Amino acid sequence: MFLTRSEYDRGVNTFSPEGRLFQVEYAMEAIKLGSTAVGIQTAEGVVLAVEKRLSSPLLEPNSVEKLVEIDEHVGCAMSGLVADARTMIEHARVEAQNHRFTFDEAMPVESLTQATCDLALRFGEGVEDDEDKEEEMMSRPFGVSLLIAGVDNKGPALFYTDPSGTYIRWLAKAIGAGAEGAQSALQEAYYKSMTLKEAETLALRTLREVMEEKVESNNVEVAAVRTDTKKFVIYTEAQVKECLSRLENRDS
Amino acid sequence: MWKESSVVATMASLQRPDFMPYQNNGGTVVAIGGEDYCIVSATTRLGLGFAIPTRNVCRYSILNNRVVLATAGMFADTATLHKVIKARVKIYEEQQDKPFGLHSAAQLLSNTLYYRRFFPYYTFNVLGGLDEDGQGFVYGFDAIGSGEKVKVVCNGTGQALIQPILDNQVEKKQQYENKQITKLSLQEAVDLIKDVFTSAGERDIYTGDAIDICIITKEKGVLVETFQLKQD
Repeated sequence: MFLTRSEYDRGVNTFSPEGRLFQVEYAMEAIKLGSTAVGIQTAEGVVLAVEKRLSSPLLEPNSVEKLVEIDEHVGCAMSGLVADARTMIEHARVEAQNHRFTFDEAMPVESLTQATCDLALRFGEGVEDDEDKEEEMMSRPFGVSLLIAGVDNKGPALFYTDPSGTYIRWLAKAIGAGAEGAQSALQEAYYKSMTLKEAETLALRTLREVMEEKVESNNVEVAAVRTDTKKFVIYTEAQVKECLSRLENRDS
Repeated sequence: MWKESSVVATMASLQRPDFMPYQNNGGTVVAIGGEDYCIVSATTRLGLGFAIPTRNVCRYSILNNRVVLATAGMFADTATLHKVIKARVKIYEEQQDKPFGLHSAAQLLSNTLYYRRFFPYYTFNVLGGLDEDGQGFVYGFDAIGSGEKVKVVCNGTGQALIQPILDNQVEKKQQYENKQITKLSLQEAVDLIKDVFTSAGERDIYTGDAIDICIITKEKGVLVETFQLKQD
């Protein structure tokens, strides 16, 4: 697909004659190197689960953060260049608080996703600093993909964003290195009337299928936004253990 | 040749008109929130000193089918403020894909007013509508955005004449006997509004000509009727 390199490879603001933006497409490739992340939407809420690659036993597992809160009702899982996600999430958090300040309500998940994606295609564009001077900030697209999960007045929602700034709503979505296998596993097992507990189990089972290491409570992270509480909660290691034991019991 | 001191004297004696960015055009606005309705009303007289330049101005804006804003004070500021708020509501409803809520309107209005803390819009606002549960509520604001969610409020030149009567009749405050507290029906509330404006018109030269009455219900949205007051 990308075997023929051309002068259109370099410029992020230049279309190739076939109408493609290579740097954006390459950025999408970067996500395929990232750790796998899974999101599942049910009527009871949305579950997010991510794989944590612990490259060394000396590495502190809880310092690897791939699930973060954007606002109290919205959370996010990431895959790809995690450092890039920081910029987007910081932007999303500011947007969410701005909305609360101006309108005295939680920001709807879709418009929060849109606000996050607004940043995605601003590469190569000058960003004004404090003195109104244009400052070159980004020179390439973000090499990260996000699964944004939340609950608003319309109920639970799960959105997937990619480096082109597109966002799509999914019932169940996998991103990262194991995305292909995980997505077909989700497609097999997902059904709309799933409970949140069943979604937790499915998310972990899907990760187990695509992860190289054995799934353990310290190498996966799980979080959920419940429809009843409308709160994003990252599970403690004990809670993840409990989910894993449910998964193993089901298998035996 | 002028000495320096004579130049200073000449400068000091130069007369130029004072910068007077404000004028008071009067007007009175009343809002009542009921169990399943809300009424927002505003006078249509535009006063200026002892003159009446116009008898028929519109002091309210229908923000959507659940929220109405009405404003007394300087009319130019009223017009601008309403334009700003309506634009923000339009943008919100496009971006967020849902109707603008009453509490959001209150927060937006408060912020908009406070952003001009040191050169305020000379406006006294009431905001009325139905909240998420379909209950009628109203908000009253001062010129710099301080406001409160209540059941009944009056703002503008007739405030001192009307507010105590509304407190007595709607909130049943300061009543001699322990009367049975009954909530006003929509028709009773509309009649009360017509009465208080008619009375205020007798004493306040900035209140008169007519009132616009916006009736907000879940079933019918916003209906507007006009009630004539005296034209003196």
